[in-house]
Amino acid sequence: MEIETVFLYVSAALAVGIPALATAWAQSRIGPAAAAALAEKPELTVTVVLLIAIPETLAILGFVVAVLILMQGGG
Amino acid sequence: MILKMSRIRMLGPRERLQSCLACIQDLGLVQLVEPAETESLSPLGLTPEQEHHVRSVRDVVQDVDMALELLGETPSPPRAAEDLPLTEAALIAGRARRELEALAEQRQSLEEERALILKFRPFFSAFRKIGDSGLDLDGIRVFYLVLREDGEEELRRMRAALRQALGEGFELLSQPSESGESAMLLAVPMADAAKAEQLLSEAGVQSLSLPAQFEEQGVSATIQRMQARLEELPKELAALEQERARIARERGRKLAWIQASVRDHLATVVAMEKAVVTPRAFVLEGWVPKAVQPDLERRLSSRCGPGFEIETVSSEEWSGDTAPVVLHNPRLFRPFEAITRMMPLPKYGTVDPTPFVAVFFPMFFGVVLGDVGYGTLLAAVSLILRLRSKADTTLRSVSEIGLACALFSVIFGFLYGELFGDLGHRLGLHPIIFNREEAFFPFLGFAIALGLVHIVVGLLVGAVKMFRGDKRRALGKGMAALMVVLIALALLAAFDMLPERFFTPLVITTLVALPILIVGEGVLAPIEFVSTLGNVLSYARIMAVGTASVMMAVVANRMVGAFGSVIVGILFALVFHLINFVLGVFSPTIHVLRLHYVEFFGKFYSPGGAQYRPFRHWSPRESASDERSE
Repeated sequence: MEIETVFLYVSAALAVGIPALATAWAQSRIGPAAAAALAEKPELTVTVVLLIAIPETLAILGFVVAVLILMQGGG
Repeated sequence: MILKMSRIRMLGPRERLQSCLACIQDLGLVQLVEPAETESLSPLGLTPEQEHHVRSVRDVVQDVDMALELLGETPSPPRAAEDLPLTEAALIAGRARRELEALAEQRQSLEEERALILKFRPFFSAFRKIGDSGLDLDGIRVFYLVLREDGEEELRRMRAALRQALGEGFELLSQPSESGESAMLLAVPMADAAKAEQLLSEAGVQSLSLPAQFEEQGVSATIQRMQARLEELPKELAALEQERARIARERGRKLAWIQASVRDHLATVVAMEKAVVTPRAFVLEGWVPKAVQPDLERRLSSRCGPGFEIETVSSEEWSGDTAPVVLHNPRLFRPFEAITRMMPLPKYGTVDPTPFVAVFFPMFFGVVLGDVGYGTLLAAVSLILRLRSKADTTLRSVSEIGLACALFSVIFGFLYGELFGDLGHRLGLHPIIFNREEAFFPFLGFAIALGLVHIVVGLLVGAVKMFRGDKRRALGKGMAALMVVLIALALLAAFDMLPERFFTPLVITTLVALPILIVGEGVLAPIEFVSTLGNVLSYARIMAVGTASVMMAVVANRMVGAFGSVIVGILFALVFHLINFVLGVFSPTIHVLRLHYVEFFGKFYSPGGAQYRPFRHWSPRESASDERSE
């Protein structure tokens, strides 16, 4: 396998992997706070779901970039 | 859409206030509010006797609510029953509450006793063996202890610590239990009990507390008695349950009737406090949907008799912020009000987003799931839910939203040529627009284009809403919508998807529009505009989640050939498809909701409307629906 191909796959993996870790970290902070808030105020369910879904944008955009890298690189 | 409301003023002879309130309650259309006081009008004060009466009514409400809660079921009240005098209702409700509270206390005490004994159960035989060793317990405090499996070393350490603290004045006996842990008895003189207790707590040794009634007995007798109680307790609990069921059967419906009639009465009393009076007349004010106002006026005038007048309070005398909100949409859109209601209600006079949600939500869902097989499965699940749900419940709305989403999933499934992933291709189903397994760029472009349309619609709705008030900001919103479209077209021209000669005019028009945007929305408008462009990109999630869904389905199909046995492969594939179906329903729901609440609603939605609560007869269903909407 050529070194360019290796770099292509590694960069695609990093493009999706790092944002996914960032999302996981953000959600790990939001989750307990959200659970505590829900215990006090169950009517906040929608806000909580949205707050948890917001960091997922990072992973999703990371995934899109990874796909672009692979497609542009002919992978 | 949000129904137009009228504020009405009702006037009548003071002595007929109560009967007129009863008519208003029967019709159940007016939300009463406190009218503005003037010099000639004063609030209807209650006499000390009336205040005492209100307190008695509130006490009965409390008793009957608590009794029904303890009963654990709300039987439907009889359709017609004789009105009970308040004193009799109070007696029945109070007695039921006391009896049910006593039953609940007994049940709790028995359950606590059972829970305590169950903690001892794994150690019964171990403690009995120790007890049979002839320990003399006169003037002695016994601790029942449990040590974990590898407790040999811990036991030695504890013995040494006890010796240091208490000298030789203790007895520590241990026996392995059935659970593998060690059961231990620590016997110390009463004088040293506090010291031993502190030592055990510092060492973190688990001490089982004995139910109070066993404390005076010897170890063997205690264990024997516990075993006997463990057999007796379920029978005693069953007897309590039978007693509760008997009360429910004999008095449940009567209690429900008392609840409905007393709450109704309380609502009338509370409504009376909203009246203002002169020495001879009363004045009531309230909100009513404009569409039903003529009918309401006619019916009230005929029922309340001569001397009763209704007039419309002119719109200059009230502000839209105080008017309650009623969402009213065509039957097809109505289930989607559940999605709007998950947010605080829109303010009166603003836009109800339900019709837009009804179009875009199932469509985006279908674009993401886009599979004939999964769509059909979702339709089946939604249909079952619909058949099992009652009208006007959240479950009914969810099932109908599910059916709309399923329809769009099937439509897009045909457009993508997908049936349980790539199984459709093998069965002759071919993609009409693109194949999602390969066409990443077209799918991404399609998702962004949908986002563009959604955001532009949001901006235009915002512009139309603002046009009635702040025309300059409306111009700014409209300009933002135009600039989003211009930038999208310029990008298409730049990537040769439109003739290249359009590029320069489009860029120049965008640059001309920018100062108008700043004039309309202020100096921060360009920053907000950049965030709007970011909002459009956020729709890339439609492609990302959709691609993940189709890839999972493809992987599931490949499992059939991946294992030695075809049957095992099919079983794995079915399980994987089931997981993908659950994810494929859950994930788009969350993401499409987010796209609506964050990206779309952010362009025009003004939360903060008050729920319309007409003065009407009390019923458990309407009370639950009011609580849901709070």
